[in-house]
Amino acid sequence: MAVMQSQDDRQLDDQQALERHALVMTVWMPLGFVAFLLFGHGYRVLDGWFVGAAIAVLLAAFAGHVIVNWVYRTLFSGRELALGLVAYVVALLAFLLSLLFGAEGAEALFLPIGLGFVTLAAAVIFYLVTHLGLRRSFEAFDVIRDFRPRGPGSSARR
Amino acid sequence: MTALLIAVLGFFFAYQIYIASLTARRRQQAEDYLDAGLALPGWCFVFAGTGVVLAGLGLFDHYLLAALFRFQYNHLALGLVLAALGGVLVQKRLWLAARVTGLKTLGELLAAYYGSTALRVLLLILLLLFTLPFAAQSLARLGLLIETATQGALTETSAVWATAFFLFLGGVIGGWRATIFIVAGLSLLLLALIAFTGGIGSLTFGWLATMGEEVPTLPGVLQRDIPGVIQYSAGLGKEATAGGIWTTTAILSAGLALVGIVLSPGFAFLAITTSRGRGFAFGQVWMTAGLGVGILLIATPLIGAGLALADPEALAKGSVSYGALLRAFTDVDSLFAAGLVVMLAASLQILVAFFAQSGASLFVIEILGRFVLPGMTPQDRRLAARISLAVIYLALALMAGFAAVPVEILAAMTLALSVQLLPAVLGLCWVPWISRGAVMTGLIFGSLLVIFTEPFGLIVFEGLFLELPWGRWPLTIHSAAWGLAFNFAACLLVSIFTLRAPDRAGRDRLHEIFRQHHRQASFSPAMRGAMWSLILLWAFFALGPGAILGNWFFSEPLFSEPVALLGLPSLWVWQIAFWLIGVFVVWWLAYQARLSILSEEATLRLNLDGEAPPFVPSRPKLFSTFLERVAKRQD
Repeated sequence: MAVMQSQDDRQLDDQQALERHALVMTVWMPLGFVAFLLFGHGYRVLDGWFVGAAIAVLLAAFAGHVIVNWVYRTLFSGRELALGLVAYVVALLAFLLSLLFGAEGAEALFLPIGLGFVTLAAAVIFYLVTHLGLRRSFEAFDVIRDFRPRGPGSSARR
Repeated sequence: MTALLIAVLGFFFAYQIYIASLTARRRQQAEDYLDAGLALPGWCFVFAGTGVVLAGLGLFDHYLLAALFRFQYNHLALGLVLAALGGVLVQKRLWLAARVTGLKTLGELLAAYYGSTALRVLLLILLLLFTLPFAAQSLARLGLLIETATQGALTETSAVWATAFFLFLGGVIGGWRATIFIVAGLSLLLLALIAFTGGIGSLTFGWLATMGEEVPTLPGVLQRDIPGVIQYSAGLGKEATAGGIWTTTAILSAGLALVGIVLSPGFAFLAITTSRGRGFAFGQVWMTAGLGVGILLIATPLIGAGLALADPEALAKGSVSYGALLRAFTDVDSLFAAGLVVMLAASLQILVAFFAQSGASLFVIEILGRFVLPGMTPQDRRLAARISLAVIYLALALMAGFAAVPVEILAAMTLALSVQLLPAVLGLCWVPWISRGAVMTGLIFGSLLVIFTEPFGLIVFEGLFLELPWGRWPLTIHSAAWGLAFNFAACLLVSIFTLRAPDRAGRDRLHEIFRQHHRQASFSPAMRGAMWSLILLWAFFALGPGAILGNWFFSEPLFSEPVALLGLPSLWVWQIAFWLIGVFVVWWLAYQARLSILSEEATLRLNLDGEAPPFVPSRPKLFSTFLERVAKRQD
């Protein structure tokens, strides 16, 4: 995660970090709200198209975030990654638990929601691999490496 | 619905306070509170500028008028392309002039450039109109909307005060920079929700399918046609028009009024406080003229039809409101109704937050800091801006709650008065021979014409003296165009006599800097001719008399006998076609002619100190010359 935060991309000063954060919020706030409306309605009336549209809007917001990164020449910050991962995992768990307990919505919308999860994950992986390369993408999530003891004889680079 | 709406609106208020707190916590100079250190990032102008222009159209009324007048009124959205063109013509030069002279506001620039305190006073009156009645009108509509949406669970007054409080909180914590961040977020929300509402209505209620059909409208109104080039009517309130009021002349002249948004002191302040003039071209071309106008042109007839179909009885009586449509949406899903309310609320909040905050900053910079308490430290100025903001929001809430009629009357003429600045701003940006006398004469004539073709002047004059033979917008010409015609005529006439006036040298200094350091792209004469011809042709066919061809051009083409079965009204297709051509025109000017692209960094080079000291009695030069001559003859 720390790798993502401070790659070869430039460091932002306080002001630029604020501006970037405000722009990220500007992208996610409206599109997230529209996705919420679409998903809420789709789940209520069990219409897969609305759920699919909500996922598409989320993907558009993700693309917007990538554009923000490109504009400011940065990567995702540690907090953004953490928030994204937590949100993704919580949503995934909620979906799996709903399936486990036989919630009507989750079963009826298994295909669009499941595809949505796969698509979102694929979009993130695609971005990481194309932007960082395979090795650095893996290192970004290599938690074991972060806990490896470091000493004068250690071969760990970080 | 009420709980959902409160939760959603509460979420957006929380977002605003979060952004404001983050901004306030960053290390910054005290003066940044007023002007963001003249370093707003370019994307702020891109999003916030678009949102303010779109909201300035008055979206709350826009959809209601679309229900009443359908496609003839929808044509007005093309007027926003005109507003984008206006922005292309002046914003970069205003930004350059501000950087070159070290001045921060439109009022300071015009007053210093023309050496006129009277011009500064006129601009302050205009600022007051935008800050109070114009913003209060939006706040009042927001209160009404929330009361309607919650079916009275939240009263209009409580909604007005709650909104004013939360918007004030965001502004008082974060200042100009935070307000623009917030407005930028609301602008994107607005765009997304306009598209969402139009799309959902089409999917759920089949609005798109009604586009080729007749739906209920105001009785006697032509649904899919513009009712002529001009109508010789005495004006609204005096004489009815046949087939609707939105003739091509009304559309063009109302489109001119929309240029008033980009010439307003607040919008100019947004442009001037943008860092290195970034984002002008992108904002004007792709966001305002492109995405903004496109979404509006396509979604407005859909939403208008939805309003009409939801309550045809009320429409037959000549009134329309959001209540029935909200109920129809709630029956399907309260989330959709929340989406509609948030879309309208976002457009209204943009206007309130933007004009209140710019009003507070400009009041401190132009009046308190300059004339009343010139020795204030930056911390004092920040405190003064916060106190001003509190007073402004208090006044806004009081006006929105208790003075609805005066607010409506004053707000109605604000944009038309604002566009009267066009000759003055064009003079500053491009035309050095426009003199102070010319600008002042034009402004006085223009403003009088606006006042006497709007309810304010008509009510006051008819109340005090006698009945006037004309009403609002006589000959279906908007007050903005009446004013501009007389304004330009007077301005040009006076300029002829002041071509070699001694104050010309001062104005030439600024234009010399423009010529030496910030030249525009040089085109061959043929290319330049083609460019201006295209603009005039576009204006003629998109908004001017040529737009009448749109009534049948795509359904009964001139070049073939059979009637084309489009399934869509010819006028709508015409509007969309000329929107696309309009985007091309704006792109050409902004990018190819480089009217919105900065080629060189602007540095402080000029001290414009031509303004006469305020409150010092002085004789007009005309009188002095006259007296001198008379005195000589007596000798």
